[in-house]
Amino acid sequence: MVGIVVENLVAGYGNVSVLHDVSIDVADKQTVALLGTNGNGKSTLLSCIAGLIKPTEGHIFLVDGEERIDLTSLSPKEIVEAGVSMVPEGRRLFPLLTVEENLVLGAYRLEARAVRNITMDYCFTLFPRLAERRSQQAGSMSGGEQQMLSVARALMGVPKLLLIDEPSVGLAPILVQQMIEKIGELSTSKGLTVLMAEQNFNQAIRIADKGYIIVHGEIAFASKDAVDLRENEMIKSYYLGG
Amino acid sequence: MIAELFVNALISGLLLGGFYAAISIGLSISFGLLDTVNIAHPTFLVLGAFLAYILNSEAGMDPLLAGVLMTPLFFLLGLFIYSVYYQFFEKTSAEALRGLAFFFGILFITEVVMIMAFGVDHRMVSAPYANGSLGGSILGMELSVPYRMLSVFVVASIMTLGLHLFFSRTFFGRASRAVHQDMLALSLMGVDPIRVKRIAFAIALATCGVGGALMIIMIPIEPAVGRLYIGNVFAIVVLGGLGSISGTLIAAVLLGVAESVVSTFLGPSWSPAVSFGILLGVLALKPSGMFGVGDTR
Repeated sequence: MVGIVVENLVAGYGNVSVLHDVSIDVADKQTVALLGTNGNGKSTLLSCIAGLIKPTEGHIFLVDGEERIDLTSLSPKEIVEAGVSMVPEGRRLFPLLTVEENLVLGAYRLEARAVRNITMDYCFTLFPRLAERRSQQAGSMSGGEQQMLSVARALMGVPKLLLIDEPSVGLAPILVQQMIEKIGELSTSKGLTVLMAEQNFNQAIRIADKGYIIVHGEIAFASKDAVDLRENEMIKSYYLGG
Repeated sequence: MIAELFVNALISGLLLGGFYAAISIGLSISFGLLDTVNIAHPTFLVLGAFLAYILNSEAGMDPLLAGVLMTPLFFLLGLFIYSVYYQFFEKTSAEALRGLAFFFGILFITEVVMIMAFGVDHRMVSAPYANGSLGGSILGMELSVPYRMLSVFVVASIMTLGLHLFFSRTFFGRASRAVHQDMLALSLMGVDPIRVKRIAFAIALATCGVGGALMIIMIPIEPAVGRLYIGNVFAIVVLGGLGSISGTLIAAVLLGVAESVVSTFLGPSWSPAVSFGILLGVLALKPSGMFGVGDTR
């Protein structure tokens, strides 16, 4: 049982407040889409969960079995140790290291080290292209391959909860579709709980169990379930062009 | 006759290159991997040399053993210096110019302290391998290698190749190479990037223990002799390519051989000109150095 509960979160950069009173709820083995166009606070919310930004108000609880851990009081390192991995915006690979070295660095977390080789095999099965390129420098690969590596590197930490920030950015439409499908597999095959920020509504709602739309740092719409998300009139008219 | 001179110059150049590798590898780590322009590195080598001198002259200790024993001290000094540097410069993004000034300041303070403590006389150590040479005749050529250079070369090779393996094979080594590429990404892996930098910097400074001992076995030492080497070590690190430890080792051997051959045939005063000529030539063709991986920052 792994989930995340964000309660009344207020956060920003310096004096500029980006998130105002945001509450979301991600349940065990769900893939939840956090939808919104650029500059509405998607990345800020994910950064708060990963501990990169300290919120000024509110709480973020990682629900892990019977435990409820408040992540707002933990450092990024402690949050990783608690089982939260993040695929950051813009991939943030180590461009001069090889694919394999990037993956190894992803398995720093104590629990991940023991099963490093098993996880790496899993990543290579998930993304066979990475196996072909294991000794190539990460920076020399195509955008799609880099995105695969970024997801695989986060998986190397054997997370319970995976945060993914805009996996579709900079990819050709066909690659976006493949990437989104792979992410959709994670909760079914690995039992992962996934929170994905995305601005590609069409693609994201294909795999999402439910979704939130964030506008100007506030949750404008929260869907009950997948059907609710796909059939919503507001999404249809504003974001899907019809 | 010419061939004999050339082969002798080649051999002593190779040995000199090993010594250069030992005194450059610390800077290759701190400057190449961590972006800390530790211009005081050669001065810390001289400090290491003087400490080896004291242990040798007062306690009769073998200078190489003294170098090994001082390594933890330099490691601790490295932890301290990086913590100060981080707190007052790097954290506030003032590392570019003021950080350089900080290391310049450390250079002068260390140098003045050494002058006050040891005076300006040249010092040297005594050891069984400090004199004499290994000679022999191969293919009709009389070859001769001083034991002094041979022992320096052996120790230097062990240290530099060991560090090279450490930084290319271990988790910590990979993290040190990743830290300047993306600090934020590293912290997303649960690694504390500042801790990685602090320890890697301390390892870089720890090489001044053995490196200093090698220096005083090679040449007589006075407090300001470090300045002579600032040019050499920076040239080697840049020539090899920032961020590439193997590049540094190869560049060190290249410059050692070039210097040795040039001073044999043209005279020692030409050797810096040739060294820096090679550096300029390589940088003109490949701005990131021989094995440099380019700038990703």
